[in-house]
Amino acid sequence: MNPALWISKTGLDAQNKDIAVISNNLANASTIGFKKSRAVFEDLLYQNINQPGGRTAQDTEAPSGLMLGAGTKVVATQKIHTQGDMITTDNALDLMIQGEGFFEILMPDGSSAYSRNGQFTMDDEGNMVTPGAGYMVQPQVTIPEDALSIIVSQDGEVSVTLQGQPDPAVVGQINLMNFVNPTGLQPIGQNLYTETAVSGAPQEGVPGLEGYGMLVQGALETSNVNTTEELVNLIESQRVYEMNSKVISAVDEMLSYINQQL
Amino acid sequence: MMDKMLYIAMSGAKQNMQALSINANNLANAKTTGFKADLAQARSMQAFGEGQPSRVFSMTERASQNFDSGSILHTGRSLDMAIEGEGFFAVQGEDGQEAYTRGGHFRLTETGALETNDGELVIGEDGPITLPLPVNNIQIGRDGTIMVQPEGAPSTVQEEVARIKLVNPDTRLVEKGNDGLFRAKNGGQLIADVNVNVLGGALESSNVNPINEMTEMIALQRQFEMQLKMMKTAEEIDASASSLLRAF
Repeated sequence: MNPALWISKTGLDAQNKDIAVISNNLANASTIGFKKSRAVFEDLLYQNINQPGGRTAQDTEAPSGLMLGAGTKVVATQKIHTQGDMITTDNALDLMIQGEGFFEILMPDGSSAYSRNGQFTMDDEGNMVTPGAGYMVQPQVTIPEDALSIIVSQDGEVSVTLQGQPDPAVVGQINLMNFVNPTGLQPIGQNLYTETAVSGAPQEGVPGLEGYGMLVQGALETSNVNTTEELVNLIESQRVYEMNSKVISAVDEMLSYINQQL
Repeated sequence: MMDKMLYIAMSGAKQNMQALSINANNLANAKTTGFKADLAQARSMQAFGEGQPSRVFSMTERASQNFDSGSILHTGRSLDMAIEGEGFFAVQGEDGQEAYTRGGHFRLTETGALETNDGELVIGEDGPITLPLPVNNIQIGRDGTIMVQPEGAPSTVQEEVARIKLVNPDTRLVEKGNDGLFRAKNGGQLIADVNVNVLGGALESSNVNPINEMTEMIALQRQFEMQLKMMKTAEEIDASASSLLRAF
């Protein structure tokens, strides 16, 4: 059958995937700590129909050949780890990372996951946990029952004030994890990422030092989705989709014309 | 004997179909970063044989690419790069040879090597580029230098760690290979050009002009129909010739 049909089909497929990525970004436009994804397109292999430089006569060569491309594909969806905006909430357990780094979260199976979402709460024992599933923050931070207020410093030191004690008591230290290639982290939902072979191993650091981001208490990092940009992308993908389907209908008309005429 | 006109029209229709495939590929890649639209052209090929040398077949070729710049999209990601104006990034193709591309969405591997999304290593002044780990605050200079903030240094200190090899050959001297990367026609390496400008945090979009491609597609479609009309006419002439013969 005509190659143009299949070439355009790859175009339709790729645009379809792109629209899925865009809609996921838009759906998470107000998810705290969410990082937008983008689809990366690449052209497929080219097929040599006539080799350039092939002999056309004893001493002449074809100056240019015919190479047909096989279309396009989405090779990757890349998470873009740029900083989101800051919103202040004044909630003592809301933490925002200003700069690079991730919170380390202990998963139920004992492995570690990483998150930029700092909307922490406490469980019944006073441990700092993630808001949805209640996974514990690593290293573990336990807030005493009788704490009057909680203070988290820029460098991650957690202290509480207690009744009758003038000086705050230190109850824990939140460290950040960073990766060589954060784009290589695998998103697993619930605002969590896991380490992969391409992300590199996690490197622990104190917030605010050696390139790690600072912690800001009482603030949250919004999603870095730019809704205007996503909508423009959506328009572009939709129109490219239509053009590819136009090629399919043109080839279809040509083939049906053959059947009618001959 | 069937008229030879039938075969000429058939070859024309076939070549139109192939040109349409080039068209379809351009449209499919309307969103591929750094893609350069392929140009289709037809060449006349005279057919010699019995009788007068009056028959000329057509042959479709992908003569070259449209090397106009695509529009620049600002992404803000530190490892996204676009070339302003003319030029190419040098990368190492799968065959180990130097190849050239306009697609600048690069990434770091876990060992700090800079590579394209397809895993081709980006080439610097002294071979493939590897950044010292851990890297912080990557900045791209206009001449392709990569600057990072050394570990423990204040954020105002920037250290140059590598420089991407940028080339600016005459576009007639490069051709697109089967993997979509450009290579020098004579197979050698191109020399670096200091005048190529790189823009960090941006990508170059595909330079496919959808209006051109759609118009071309309509033209090819109509031309195809005309070829078929010729084939139909050949059939009719042949039919009337045999009915004439039957009349005697």
